[in-house]
Amino acid sequence: MATFFSLVRANFLMVIRQRTLIITSLGLAVVSILVFGYLFSNSGATKTQLGVVDADHSSVSAQLVSQLQHNDLFNVSTGSETAGQQALQNGNLDALLIIPAGFGTQLTQGGAHLQVFYNQSNPVREDATRLAVSAIVDGINRAATHQPGPVTLDEQGVMVASKNLRTIDYVTPGMIGLLLMWANLSVAIQLVFWREEGITKRLAATPLAPIAMISGQILARLLLSLAQEVVVIGLAIWLFNVQIYGNWGLLALVIVLGALTMLAIGFAVAGFFKKSQAANAGIILVTFPMMFLGGSYFPVSQISGVLGGIIHALPLYYLNDALRQVVNNGAGWAAIQTSVLVLLAWIVASMLVTWRVFRWQ
Amino acid sequence: MSQQSAAVSQAAQMSASVDMMVDVRGLVKRYHQKKAVDGVSFGVRRGEIFGVLGPNGAGKTTTLEIIEGIRASDEGTVMVSGLDIRKHKRAVQRIIGVQLQTTTLFPELTVRETVQFFGSIYPKALDANDLLRQVALEEKAKAYPQDLSGGQRQRLALALALVNDPQVVFLDEPTAGLDPQSRRMLWDTVLGLRERGKTIIITTHYMDEAQVLCDRIAIMDDGQIIALDTAAGLIGRLGAQATIDCRLDGAVITAEIGELPGVSKVREANKRFVLQTSQMEPTLLALLEYATRRGAALTDLQVRTPTLEDVFLDLTGRELRPEQA
Repeated sequence: MATFFSLVRANFLMVIRQRTLIITSLGLAVVSILVFGYLFSNSGATKTQLGVVDADHSSVSAQLVSQLQHNDLFNVSTGSETAGQQALQNGNLDALLIIPAGFGTQLTQGGAHLQVFYNQSNPVREDATRLAVSAIVDGINRAATHQPGPVTLDEQGVMVASKNLRTIDYVTPGMIGLLLMWANLSVAIQLVFWREEGITKRLAATPLAPIAMISGQILARLLLSLAQEVVVIGLAIWLFNVQIYGNWGLLALVIVLGALTMLAIGFAVAGFFKKSQAANAGIILVTFPMMFLGGSYFPVSQISGVLGGIIHALPLYYLNDALRQVVNNGAGWAAIQTSVLVLLAWIVASMLVTWRVFRWQ
Repeated sequence: MSQQSAAVSQAAQMSASVDMMVDVRGLVKRYHQKKAVDGVSFGVRRGEIFGVLGPNGAGKTTTLEIIEGIRASDEGTVMVSGLDIRKHKRAVQRIIGVQLQTTTLFPELTVRETVQFFGSIYPKALDANDLLRQVALEEKAKAYPQDLSGGQRQRLALALALVNDPQVVFLDEPTAGLDPQSRRMLWDTVLGLRERGKTIIITTHYMDEAQVLCDRIAIMDDGQIIALDTAAGLIGRLGAQATIDCRLDGAVITAEIGELPGVSKVREANKRFVLQTSQMEPTLLALLEYATRRGAALTDLQVRTPTLEDVFLDLTGRELRPEQA
């Protein structure tokens, strides 16, 4: 036990004294928070302009429209679909919600659907609108599940959406994710350096098992990640009043999972390099595109084509998504399930690769 | 065969293995079909300084690394303090201390933190400050390894090899690239370790080092041990050949010098005489007496006894360190 404690202590000293590591992880996240917090402090705090087309003309749809009109988050305008589409094109609306004919009947029977068009000119705003609209749908569904029959919208459900996403609110979870990537993928460089310089060979002459040293390094990086996240989240709350809507425990869990994912990938990457300089270049080659394509700074979920395919394979994308769901959306386990599963898949795949190609000495 | 005699031979074997701190038999290590270590066997007694001497690439380091448990051999057995390295690697590694040929350490840990870290690996460890004092690094306790000089770094590596108060210490070319003062200091430390009952295995390609330090020396070449004896024993194989080199001014005759006792060969060039002798002392006395008798001035007298270098030359026909002056 004393041995393990001193192992973790030594490994923690090793990571916390690496200036490059601290600058690329904590430094980058803090600077980003400051820049986005101050530079875009005025944007995003306006109401969502929502056009509603009621093609159903039932009591249920009328009730939904009335609920939306009473919601502080939306500035609702009603009209025909043609007029609504025109307003969306002109940029006067953020989103257009169409309640199709038969919605009321379908809702009681199950299988009802709403059609939504989003204004994609401002990605951050679009994302905020998406969150707001999905919260409404969520509210309708909850009400429908718990009380079959005529729909009374669950006010609680809609309340979740009554938050205004500012740029800084959006960027904060992105920085939590980005920090985890920079702080933990770089474990590859450390491992390759140890091997390259013969440090692992020297350790091999001692009774210390490689797995003990590796565990020490993993734990040290986890501690470093958590400590740095406390600084980042604390700064966001203190300076910019960023709200954490979700459960703190769940947030911590996602952070730990994210750190472990990046560590696992780092171990796999370390198996492919002999020189720490090359490993360094390799890590930068992976982290730099991921930094932007992973959705840390701006939404990327709507990007399609080849790039979209790449984005939807990136672990950082799913990590950011889960973080955003918890931080911005106050979501529970159900909303982050997919992301968590994808991250777990990345861990398993990385461990398999590590097992095949990684050599300690 | 009676049971009794079987028991006796077993006891004899046991006492032999207790006496042998390190017992290496039939070690073979291949790299791409080339044998880096080719059937090496030797035993190191408890409390002995055992030297492995040989040129670069002779297989010294590989042999040591197999005994230390860093590499696995392809054939052969290694017993350290009666424990098989294959079966009880961790147990062996708890009682040995290792200084590798080059030691790079964690650049983020200070000297003291490094010693403490290595100490924490073992169930029992010496006090870091005491150890640093012992290797004269106490003033550098807060420095980082990359800020140390070559000699200081070697001393830190030595401190790490001693941190678990080991029974056997392995030193792989510990004085390579050190200044003479640092070398002397290391020799003193090694001799001090023997006084405290440690067994030491040291590789070197400095013959003077092997001659000064080692109780016994194994000469390795091309993956094999080609000779194993005390320094005196190894040199003795050359038939106590010595070389006398002097300048004689006066009426001397080279042929007469060649007939002095013990002289096997004499060469003269520019009043400079080089004599080969198998009986160094009688030859020297006779030479002095001859010079006096002839009224010749004897100056620049040098007597050279053979060194391990000559032994190596004799065994392999090559010089030990052709690249070095």
